[in-house]
Parts: sequence; C-alpha cells; structure tokens
Amino acid sequence: MTAQDLYKETLLEHYRHPRNRCDRPIQEADAVERGANPRCGDEIEIGIFLQDEKIRQVKFRGRGCAICIASASMLTEAVAGLSVASTRRLCDQMHAWFGDIEAAAEPLLPDSLQALAAVREHRARQKCVLLSWEALAHAIDTAASA
Amino acid sequence: MSDPEPINPEVVRRDFPIFAGASHRQRLHYLDNAATTHKPDKVINAIAACYAQCYAPIHRGLYPMAEQATSNYEHARRVLQHFIGAASPDELVFTSSATEAINMVASGWLRQRLQSGDVVWVSRMEHHSNYLPWQRVCHEKQAQLRFIELTEDGQMDLDRIPELFAEPTKFIAITHVSNVLGVQNPVASLCATARECGIPVLVDAAQSVSHLELDVSAMCCDFLAFSAHKMFGPTGIGLLYGRQDRLAGMEPLQLGGGMVDSVVDGTSAASSWAKVPSRFEAGSPDMPGAVGFAAAADYLSSLGHERVGRHIAALTRLAAERLMGINGISLLPHAELPASGIVSFTHRYIHPHDMAQVAGEAGVAIRAGHHCAQPLLRHLGLAATARASFSVYNDESDIDALIDAIISAQRIFCE
Repeated sequence: MTAQDLYKETLLEHYRHPRNRCDRPIQEADAVERGANPRCGDEIEIGIFLQDEKIRQVKFRGRGCAICIASASMLTEAVAGLSVASTRRLCDQMHAWFGDIEAAAEPLLPDSLQALAAVREHRARQKCVLLSWEALAHAIDTAASA
Repeated sequence: MSDPEPINPEVVRRDFPIFAGASHRQRLHYLDNAATTHKPDKVINAIAACYAQCYAPIHRGLYPMAEQATSNYEHARRVLQHFIGAASPDELVFTSSATEAINMVASGWLRQRLQSGDVVWVSRMEHHSNYLPWQRVCHEKQAQLRFIELTEDGQMDLDRIPELFAEPTKFIAITHVSNVLGVQNPVASLCATARECGIPVLVDAAQSVSHLELDVSAMCCDFLAFSAHKMFGPTGIGLLYGRQDRLAGMEPLQLGGGMVDSVVDGTSAASSWAKVPSRFEAGSPDMPGAVGFAAAADYLSSLGHERVGRHIAALTRLAAERLMGINGISLLPHAELPASGIVSFTHRYIHPHDMAQVAGEAGVAIRAGHHCAQPLLRHLGLAATARASFSVYNDESDIDALIDAIISAQRIFCE
C-alpha cells in the first residue's frame, strides 16, 4: 500500500474542503457531543439537527489530521436525510468495521464512505476515522434521552 | 589528545540484525530512537544464552546452575554500577521500567515524607512518567506540584524561581534530556545546589542514557531512573539508582517472594524485609533482562560515549538545518540546534499524523503525537508534533529519506 492508496482523492478533497464545518461553537443543535483522541490531541465536536425522526443536518467543528477531518466531513453528507435509527445503526457498523478489523466482515460501506475503506488496514489510524462517528452516536443518544 | 575516530554507521548497522537483508526489502530509516532503539546481536545473543545455557531461579537455588544464574544477575548489576558511576551495586534496583522506578520513589520514598503545604517541583518539559507519579502523591498529601517554566528558547527558567531551593520545597524531579525539545538540562549544577539546601533530586535519564555518559557521583543526584530499551537493551527492564541512605529509607511497594528477611504469622506488621536492593525486587527477578541490559551497557561503552555523542549531535544538527530549509516547517523552540538526537517539528499545512503516515509508507519511521508530554505541548499551544530522533546506526541517507518523505507529503496535502 502506498500513501496514495490511503489518501484517495475523495478523502483529500473532503480534507481540503470540509462540508458542514463550523469555525465557531455549533449553535441551536438538538445535541452536541465531542470526541477526543488522547494519542494526538485531535478533537471533533458533532452537532445534530433533527426533524421528524430524521437527521436534517450534521455540523462539525474541531481539529484533526486529514483522515479525521475527511471522515467527519463525509459523515455529515452520508447521514443527512437518514432516519435517526438507521444513522445510529451506521455508527455501530462503522465502529465494527474500523474498531475491530479481525472480527468484522468486509465492510459494505455506503458509496459515500468508500474512500475511507483503505484506513482499515492501518490500525493506528482507526481512531482518526471513528472520532466523529463516536461523537455522532453519543449525540444521538443524548438527543434521545433529552 | 587526538579526536576519537568517528562512528561509521554502516559498520554499526552490521551489529543490528533488524537492518540485515535491507537489499531484499525497503531500507528501514528508523528515526524513532527516542521511543525505543533497536537491539544489537550482542544483546540478543546474551539474552538467548541465558535461556539456552544457564537458566535457573535467582537467589533461591542451591545447585550449580542456580548459583551461576544468580552470579550472572548480580554481575549485570555491577556492570551497570560502573556504567553509571555508582559507589556500590547496592545502590541499583532492577525495575520493570524507568516509569516503575519513578513511581517507586514517589510512592515508596516521598509519600511518607510529604506533608500538606510542601512543594514538589518538576519542569514544564517532563514526560508523563516523571509528572503523574508526583501529581498523585502531591494530591494525596495536599502538597503543591509546581512547574519550573521554560524560557522562550525552551530552557528551564531557573532565574525566575529563587524559591526553588527554599522552604517549603521538599523534592525536585527533573529530566536530563527532554524527549520532545531535545534540550539537555543542567542537572549537575541543579543537584549540587539542591544538595547544599538538603533537597533530594530525582533525575530522569531515560532520554540521555543512550548518548551521554552518566556519572551519578559527579551529578550528585539522589535518585536516577532509566530503562534498557532506549539504550539498545531489552524491553521490560529498567533501573533505579538511589543513594544508599535514600534507598534505606524507602518502603517497598511490591511485597512477595525474595524480598523478606522473616515473615510472621497472622496480621502482625512485624514481617521484616531483606536488605537493599533485594527488598525492592519482589518476585522472580528478570535475569535474562538484566544480562541483556548489561550487554547493552557494554556495547554502548565499546562504541564510546564521546563518539556516540558526536555522531548523534552531528546528525541532529544536520537534520535541523535541512528541516528549517523546508517552507512550512517550524522546529520547536530551542536555544541552539538541538544536539541530543531529537528534532521535533510541525508543518503549517500537514498534521503530524499524516506526515508520519506518508513517511512510514516510504520506510521512514518517525513519531507523531504529544509524546507523553501534554503539559509541555499545551504550553507550546500545540496538540501534536512530528519527531525525528537519531542513533548510532543512522546516517545522512536517513535524513535524505526524511526530507524526501516530507516533500512527498507536501505533494499530497499542499497541492
């Protein structure tokens, strides 16, 4: 595997031009949760905006490496319009795909997340992908219990 | 006196099997030596011989092989005693790591002496292992843990804290060389002043032992800790040096086999401990680890500290100069070009993780992260840095490969 295999053009494009990224604290969301990677100090905050049991929009804020920022950016596009329940399932699937690559079957990632698949080969970078997804799961749980 | 012959890294690499067969695969440009070093044949063979030729319990068996194994273990202690210039082998305690050694002093020595209102000092540049043990014991005893802050060029700002050597300071713990900045601290003068004032000092030598000659007598430190794996020795063993009177006043944290004098029945607290240093080595000692540790010290001594120091300083300076020539790269603060084998840097547009990833794909092993020094990185306003660190087997081609890798990363992330 080369660096180009990992840093696919789609991933780099999201890194350079992140979607739904805020520079300021996320306002008026139904829930905002934060994830941090103590290994590198990266931090991602995810805010969810709900409407009729669906994810109307997700915004994120934070700092991180290319994979971390691209994953957060792709997340905001991948789940917009999905039901809250299927978004929460997708969070668990992402965790299974990237958190324990020995146990999980080959990922059937949604097309919009395919560019992340190569990260599975890099154990040290899995947390970079998952930071935003864990914050999203947390935000959904927080909104549900509110 | 004529200058010693310079280190020839190509010859040195032949001592390290990890670099053998490089023609069959990508050459390994290993620049993560501040995290851990590779192992020469002499260390690997010494450890293998312990298991293959003379393996038995230490300080317990009465048969010849057990006596030989015990003798090998104690010989290793004496080799290390001379390696650090200690007055007696009884001043050396084998531990599992430098981390364990520091925890032993914090919890076994300082805890029983620390009182509310006392102050313990550490520098802003400490590794977590020379910070958290003091933080915990200070919290427990309602004492204060204070930082020796840094000057703009990354040195300890000792002039700003006249109270360092005065009441109520009870202890100072300081690193010899910073694992992030690469700066070398003036531990000998600090220890000398502290001793005049009756303040004990622990020196964390984990990052200096691989290239600076240690002499605990000249340094005047009360405690010193380092691990084998950063100086070509095995992983899982470290050393605590403690001046004899200091160790005599330290409580063992681990109780069990091999560390007792007599054991009483019931709940009486009258069981008594073996003499120092056995008192601090409960459980079956890591004899092969100790033998490998001593073999590493012998290997380092055979290369010569002065030659090693010069080689590493020259590479570090060269790397720093080359890195500063790249647009977008900033080196961490330092008074002069760092000469202790460590260059930490950031890139304006490339996250250290991505930098290390691209370098790794090109066979260049560098570290990215906070290097277990969050108080320092916070002070510098950084979340993470990239770090290249050098050893005896590195040469200019490793720096070329690093620079090429950074240029590749710029092509990926900056275009």
